[in-house]
Amino acid sequence: MSESETAAADIEAEETRARETLLEVSNLDAGYGDLQILTDLEMTVGRGEYVTIVGPNGAGKSTAMKSVFGLTSHMGGTVTFDGTDITQMVPEEIIHHGLGYVPQNDNVFSSLTVRENLEMGAYILDEVPEDALQAVFDRFPILERRQEQKAGTMSGGQQQMLAMGRALMLEPKLLLLDEPSAGLAPDLVADMFDRIDDINDAGTAILMVEQNAKEALRRCDRGYVLVNGKNGYVGSGRDLLDDEEVRQRFLGG
Amino acid sequence: MGIADNYSRGRRLLVERPGQALAAVVGVLLVLALFADLAAKLGSGALGVGDVVLLAWRGVVNGLVIGLAGVGLSMTYSILNFANFAHGDYITGGAFVGWAVAWLVAGLGEYDIGSLLSLGLGADVYAPQLGTSIFGAPLALLLGLVAAGVGAIAIALLIDKLVYEPMRGQDGIALLIASIGVAFILRYLIVFVWGTSVTSVADEAGGLRPTVGGVTFSFGYHELTLVVCAVVLMVGVHVLLQRTKLGKAMRAMSDNQDLARVTGIPTERVIKWTWIIGAGLAGVAGYLLILEAGTIAYSRGWILLLLIFAAVILGGIGSVYGAIFGGLVIGLADSMSIIWIPSDFTKAAAFALMILILLFRPSGLFAGRTTA
Repeated sequence: MSESETAAADIEAEETRARETLLEVSNLDAGYGDLQILTDLEMTVGRGEYVTIVGPNGAGKSTAMKSVFGLTSHMGGTVTFDGTDITQMVPEEIIHHGLGYVPQNDNVFSSLTVRENLEMGAYILDEVPEDALQAVFDRFPILERRQEQKAGTMSGGQQQMLAMGRALMLEPKLLLLDEPSAGLAPDLVADMFDRIDDINDAGTAILMVEQNAKEALRRCDRGYVLVNGKNGYVGSGRDLLDDEEVRQRFLGG
Repeated sequence: MGIADNYSRGRRLLVERPGQALAAVVGVLLVLALFADLAAKLGSGALGVGDVVLLAWRGVVNGLVIGLAGVGLSMTYSILNFANFAHGDYITGGAFVGWAVAWLVAGLGEYDIGSLLSLGLGADVYAPQLGTSIFGAPLALLLGLVAAGVGAIAIALLIDKLVYEPMRGQDGIALLIASIGVAFILRYLIVFVWGTSVTSVADEAGGLRPTVGGVTFSFGYHELTLVVCAVVLMVGVHVLLQRTKLGKAMRAMSDNQDLARVTGIPTERVIKWTWIIGAGLAGVAGYLLILEAGTIAYSRGWILLLLIFAAVILGGIGSVYGAIFGGLVIGLADSMSIIWIPSDFTKAAAFALMILILLFRPSGLFAGRTTA
């Protein structure tokens, strides 16, 4: 095959993958206790797709992500993942279906060692999956060097890598990332986004909430803008960045 | 660190926290005075070396019981986030179940089963007749030990199912108050079955009396049994927490429960195991305490609970190693302070020591090292 043919085949494969829906959120109403935050939320993530949720503070971005993972009170609508209805499932069950979740901040077991943190990521398996563990170490070499260190003594950036590594231990089909750049020093933010690109390039779909909206939209395939717990705008990252109204209202001009 | 650093640190302490600095000076002087007094007493012959060793040994024995029972209390605190005031009655309940089984096995065929299970409530059978010491009835005592653990576990799981599980997620105060209610219910269920009298259940076993350099020491066989069992179980807890998947999950949960849930750790199952281990240790601690003391009473665990809380708080509540260490400190303080003060005040001395330590380490000696 010539190079152009390979490229064409790649594009076609990419399109097929994107057409296949992995996560489908429809008419979702959800919140905490009796307080409703999300109204009629619609959202999809394709197989291997990289999707970002942006929006102003209090728009329900994190809530949308938590709702997918069974962490909110369900009030209506459905969440389907890879053909299975996961709407009523608790995180412990959802994780079996190939969804991984990295919460914002406080996302490592600080008194456990790095290695123990990673082992906890594969708790539902009978044995620690050595292949997956090695893959995490290859992706984040610092974690291999610091295996025996207590997670709580590591820097914010390293803890973020550990949290991602832990979620990757089960080789999920979709990784949910809640503000992965929060609290990181500015020079580490680009590095973190590069690593997320790498994870996505390896075939894992990403659904990410980010404050750093411009950078997130630049990197992702598609973005959702949430406003007051409802769908605002949706489109490719590039289109949203180019949209005058979105730029003015949500991206600070 | 150089002398200058130490000097400037000391100066800072003096300026910023004069109260603490003063307390530290008073504490150091007090300790020096106590040791000077001890030396004087030993020198004048008012107190023998053997006596001091005996008091220290008694302190270690009691400290290990307190520590063993405290491990369970600390575990349930760190994983379920509430102070379980019924823990003392798990200790008593386990002890009664264990001793009833020990009596049953020791006297089966010779005495009425009802009399044996009620620990001689009909006053027709007594411990010396059954020979319930580790030499007189070793198998019965071993089975009793297992039954004490199993009995306390059964009580804890039943109570969790009926009371605590429906309240999961509520705040610690609501659970704490519920646990006080549970404590009363358990205690008076025990009274209903076994009555309020103080019963002698363990037979005398004697002890080792080695003489070293003209000083005779005394180590009871039942005390030695207690020490060996307690140390083995504590090492077992350590291995469990550090080496096993369940232990690591318990530490993970005590670190961050929400994160444990999203990581896929089956939190309810870990909670059940926490009760099993914590209550099992409490039941065994109660059983061993009675083996060493000889007598059993319905309020034994409840009275001990205050010292257990002191030990656990001193060690840093939530820390298993803190509970063990705190138990030893409280046990030794309670036992050895009799050298200087009347015996009525030894418990007060133990609590005073706890308060003194908390002044300097408000969250306990092992604070921040949850479970680990």
